[in-house]
Amino acid sequence: MNDLQHHGRTVLVVDDEQTNRLLLRTLLGRDGYHVIEVENGEQALDAINTLQIDIILLDIQMPVMDGYATASIIKQRVKRFIPIIFLTAKTDEASLAKCIEAGGDDFLIKPFNYLLLTAKLNSLLRIVSLYQDIEEKNRSIQQHNLQMMQEMNVTRKVFEKVSKNDMRGPHTGLKYAMSPMSMFNGDVIMAEKNQTSGLDLMIADFTGHGLSAAIGAIPIADVFHTMTRKCFLFTDVLAEANDKLIDLLPTQMFMAAVMLSVDRSNNILSVVNAGLPDVYLYRNNEIIRSFKSQNIPLGISKMSSSQFEVEMQPLEYGDRLYVFTDGVMEATNPQGEMFGRKRVLDVLSEDIPDDQLFESILSRCAEFSAGAEQTDDITLLELCHLPQVSYPHSAEFSNEVREPSNWSLQFDLDIKSLRQFDALPYIMQAVNNLQPLESGRTRLHTILTEMFANALDHGLLKLDSSMKNSPQGYMAFYQEKQRRLEQTDEGSINISLEHTLQGDGRGGRLTLTVFDSGDGYDYRALDLGNNNAYSGRGLKLVSSLCTEMKILGKGNVITALYDWQADLS
Amino acid sequence: MSVTVQVADDNKSATIKLHERFDFSLHSDFRNAYKDITLLDGEYLVDLSGTDYLDSSALGMLLLLKEHADAQLSSVRLVGFNDEVREILNIASFDKLFQMG
Repeated sequence: MNDLQHHGRTVLVVDDEQTNRLLLRTLLGRDGYHVIEVENGEQALDAINTLQIDIILLDIQMPVMDGYATASIIKQRVKRFIPIIFLTAKTDEASLAKCIEAGGDDFLIKPFNYLLLTAKLNSLLRIVSLYQDIEEKNRSIQQHNLQMMQEMNVTRKVFEKVSKNDMRGPHTGLKYAMSPMSMFNGDVIMAEKNQTSGLDLMIADFTGHGLSAAIGAIPIADVFHTMTRKCFLFTDVLAEANDKLIDLLPTQMFMAAVMLSVDRSNNILSVVNAGLPDVYLYRNNEIIRSFKSQNIPLGISKMSSSQFEVEMQPLEYGDRLYVFTDGVMEATNPQGEMFGRKRVLDVLSEDIPDDQLFESILSRCAEFSAGAEQTDDITLLELCHLPQVSYPHSAEFSNEVREPSNWSLQFDLDIKSLRQFDALPYIMQAVNNLQPLESGRTRLHTILTEMFANALDHGLLKLDSSMKNSPQGYMAFYQEKQRRLEQTDEGSINISLEHTLQGDGRGGRLTLTVFDSGDGYDYRALDLGNNNAYSGRGLKLVSSLCTEMKILGKGNVITALYDWQADLS
Repeated sequence: MSVTVQVADDNKSATIKLHERFDFSLHSDFRNAYKDITLLDGEYLVDLSGTDYLDSSALGMLLLLKEHADAQLSSVRLVGFNDEVREILNIASFDKLFQMG
């Protein structure tokens, strides 16, 4: 009858009669149980607090505290499972039922049959073993969870380091909502100022959950921030991110994403939607355009930067853009219905003040799914096109101080190179490494961009800049530019930069010359004083940013001088 | 069985049929359905007529099947999908990667 598994288990015998205790101690002790005796309920509670008790044999009628009271206190206070067997002389059904109600697990009527007692002990102790197994497993699961949360926190910290600028705020027009751990559901938002002082934004949703999704986000954030800061076009950033994901992720994992780029010089929005729900553009109380996904999500197949489907749209001040991940659409109510696109559109069509739309969508979605288990995290972004923006200060390039030096660089690009390659970020990077101009970096980039665009658009491709007089025309201009770039067979652009020390060596002069192989034009007729025209604005900007600008040759050479002084601080 | 597979007698096509929600829970069933099948220059048909929902991990599973098929110079065709499933496939531009219909 002795079950080896229960050998050494501790039985607490609670009885005020010494003969009963003696009998139980003798019998149980002989069978290998460890027996502890107490005389009443209070002593029993003390024993449970101080000793490792496995099971309790409890008399009902005792002085100080009776069996019923003792059992209910034990069941309330003790977290682990300690079975209680009542030993009772009463045989009426009400008393026996009361044993179970008070928290007893079983009862035995005195005088008891010892065989029956050990059978009950064995059966209850088997349940104790099961409980202990489950508790042990729970502990280990909790331990694992804790460890996983810690690992996720580390990953999140790394991710935050990679993308440290939070661009949200009333001065940027950007709002978004994500729960702190939503990156472990694979959602990521990245924002960076572009060269037109607009924002480039990437909203991404990785397949899968947990660490695997988070791990993909880190290199992508690095690619996005580094390349955007270095003035790469958003399509180049997408192509690079795509390559990186193909290299890194297993076949079944990919990243759905939307890339937004706001060109503030021309008030043009570019959208690339690769696998996310429609992006909405809201103006004057209605949605005036939706941008559907037209691209394969990233990380699936190789793409060059020109293969992405880009949609463009002129922006007006006050326009609002809405981007969602699946989480918003798939937020589910207790009845199993999804929030869905229709309910999002409903909110946007209601009479809600513009500046509360974002919060309204969020609160409506939260109300809808109240009480239901959350399946996915909700990521929602709003970007408002403001007349004036200012961004939080961001750490750009290294502030390493370099001694000014004399140097020159020359880039000669034939038509094939121009078609395949955006040289400007590389030129800027070289300049920046040779001579970091802290305050002049953006200015210098604008000068170079405008001179280069002038040479390519007008010099080589002979595009009519008056096309750009309307925002719609600007887009036609852009398309025509792509077409001509593909079809033109010859031509080249030469860019040269020369830096010479000036004064006592604390400053210098950068001479930028851009030459194109085109036919030139009558530059004397160019009216640099006309503020309003879109055309000619580029060169006007250059002349206002540099010390001196000259148009030379037959109009196909432009030289700009840029003088700088080291900060005295 | 939530995923069934049938290989044609000429060994030129295999039809994989889904019978419920196509999501992560079918991960190993779906993979087991095709992993031992070798078609040369053939076509894998994925019959989605029994499916009213797919999630992104289902899209990932389809990509794995495509990889399996590509290695055998075979293609993958998705058939039998309803409008909701078609929309999910469209959002991911899977019509650019798979034969449809």
